[in-house]
Amino acid sequence: MKFIDPDHDHWHTAIGDDDPMPTPGPCANRLLALEQWHAVREHWPRDVKAGVVVPNDTDIETLELDLPRLALIALQFPKWVDGRAYSQARLLRSRLRYTGEVRATGEVLVDMLPLLHRTGFDAVQLRADQSLESSQRALRFFAAHYQGDVQDTQPVFSRRAA
Amino acid sequence: MYAYTDFDRQFVRARAAQFRDQLERNLRGELGDDEFRPLRLQNGWYVQRHAPMLRVAVPYGELSSAQLRQLAVIARTFDRGYGHFTTRQNLQFNWIPLPQAADVMDLLAAVDMHGIQTSGNCIRNITSDALAGIAPDEIVDPRPYCEILRQWSTLHPEFAFLPRKFKIAVTGATEDRAATLWHDIGLHLLKNAAGEVGFKVFVGGGMGRTPVIGSLINEFVPWQQILVYIEAIVRVYNRYGRRDNAYKARIKILVKAEGPRFFDAVNSEFAAILTRDVDAGAQLITQAELDRVSASFVLPAGVKPVPAGFGDNASNDAPLAYTRWRERNVQLHRLPGYRAVTLSLKRAGQAPGDTTDVQMEQAAAIAERFSHGELRVTHEQNLLLPWVRESDLFALWQAAKAASFATPNIGLITDMIACPGGDFCGLANARSIPVAEQITERFADLDEQYDIGDIDLHISGCINSCGHHHSGHIGVLGVDKDGAEWYQLTLGGSDGSTASGASVTGKVIGPSFAADEISDAIEAVIATYRRERTVGERFIDSVRRLGTTPFRAATDAVRQATAAAHA
Repeated sequence: MKFIDPDHDHWHTAIGDDDPMPTPGPCANRLLALEQWHAVREHWPRDVKAGVVVPNDTDIETLELDLPRLALIALQFPKWVDGRAYSQARLLRSRLRYTGEVRATGEVLVDMLPLLHRTGFDAVQLRADQSLESSQRALRFFAAHYQGDVQDTQPVFSRRAA
Repeated sequence: MYAYTDFDRQFVRARAAQFRDQLERNLRGELGDDEFRPLRLQNGWYVQRHAPMLRVAVPYGELSSAQLRQLAVIARTFDRGYGHFTTRQNLQFNWIPLPQAADVMDLLAAVDMHGIQTSGNCIRNITSDALAGIAPDEIVDPRPYCEILRQWSTLHPEFAFLPRKFKIAVTGATEDRAATLWHDIGLHLLKNAAGEVGFKVFVGGGMGRTPVIGSLINEFVPWQQILVYIEAIVRVYNRYGRRDNAYKARIKILVKAEGPRFFDAVNSEFAAILTRDVDAGAQLITQAELDRVSASFVLPAGVKPVPAGFGDNASNDAPLAYTRWRERNVQLHRLPGYRAVTLSLKRAGQAPGDTTDVQMEQAAAIAERFSHGELRVTHEQNLLLPWVRESDLFALWQAAKAASFATPNIGLITDMIACPGGDFCGLANARSIPVAEQITERFADLDEQYDIGDIDLHISGCINSCGHHHSGHIGVLGVDKDGAEWYQLTLGGSDGSTASGASVTGKVIGPSFAADEISDAIEAVIATYRRERTVGERFIDSVRRLGTTPFRAATDAVRQATAAAHA
């Protein structure tokens, strides 16, 4: 799991003087809002990989054709107990076979780490007050789980048989 | 019973260690109370009126005597010497201080127990038929499937923060003894024409503020695919269930709002998992796994069919109390020469479902002597012994009587379901226990109870419906009006059993009753039934035939405070 330090993140949002730019120009490591991506995807060269922030009520499967052009998908936890982004991440990895970065943003807390890891997130931007050390410890309590997940698709009963 | 593997044991210990870490961070101030709350809830820890409440999972109601003895130790050492069995086959403690929570979890883990997912907006402990594996009308033993479902749902990473709680009930018999249609998912195991085992799947049932009966979504899901089918249902719910209003967040609201579109979404999602997802086949239950789990549910060593007809070893002059107990508390068994016996937890002086530490140990000893150390927690908040030889019945009755478990009232009016209510619960609007006490006192005469016959009386202290008032033949719901306790009365509800009829919500009769009127009102309902019934007609059938009008008239006549208030 990669822990993102917002002060040293090489991804940057496309904000104008005050408001988000409606149609930002092509540029590496640009993290776009979903509307921005929709506005520019016809114009941007296909070899400039974008990042996109996807709200948690978006049907993630509508991004399927865009995935080869996206190097980062930032999923959101507006409240940490709102678990919709776990399903989005799971679908991105297992159904759409997305291999770029899937980042958890918003209210990301220590005790979400095992769930994030298992549903396919590989990067998190913790809420500012959260402890990195506790987050890393949270990933270590369980050696294995019952059901298959994105990290290990085999449930324990298949692993046992193997 | 399911025998824990090393994996299961390590898993529960890991969960206890994880919880200890969370608790310590909370006590040190690193993890705020608001953010600790969902974490402790998913381990069974509520904060209630007086102290935290711990809900311990009893998966599909199966309990060993060793586990019950450990629960007794916890009750004595950490609580005030008792626990409460719930309609969802779990056990609740009420007085354990939160700083001791992690120690209690370690003690539970030592006997393969925990509080995982007994609360929170996640897939809750699976419930089933208390007669699973022993009922004469059983088509398929649900216990191996319940255990496979338990394992699949335990710490499922995608479904830990659903819009709201999610309850699954499973039955494998022709009679539904698990109120399955009142659950978010109700599963009926059956065999198709080819003799293959599968599940009839119902979705979107639930009680609470908006009672809804589950809808049939699939006639037959082959057993190998059931985890995938449930995954499809829960994923659609996780993505589209409402999160803006806790009262509209259960799956039943989504199912009602979307109707056929919800069914289509589930069936497309199911197909997509199987055809598109990485390693989808890995989620299918294998024959090897079913066989492995089923091996835990074979007959206990020493249990074998014995020729029937040797009787119960009772003398010819056995007391009437014994005859009645045989009639009410003893049920038929699929094995010749065996019976299932209910230990009644409904007796004067104790709240429904409550059991002291000493009684727990007595029940454990009785289970060891007469039922191979196995017990079941029933949906009706009693304990059941699954492996009793018919020839032991009289000796068992004597032992049960000595330990206050032999009240011969199973299925009668004093065998009521009741939540802990306002005496304990932080959510309750009114107390349940005093109502239950009054009913127990008023109908203390067993002859009278027998004359009234089969009846489901269900009492909830608030609209969350833990006491299942919606499904009671008589339902009592505690409501709060201007800071005072009031009680709404409903008639004609059904849990979906054959005797009660198709699952249905009871009808409210009249405005709420004051606390000092509700028992009179129930008594008036019963008196009306006894006056109006035809020969042999049961209460629920009389209510169906007569409608609510005569009952309403009778209950209005006992109003004192409410009559004055409405005058």
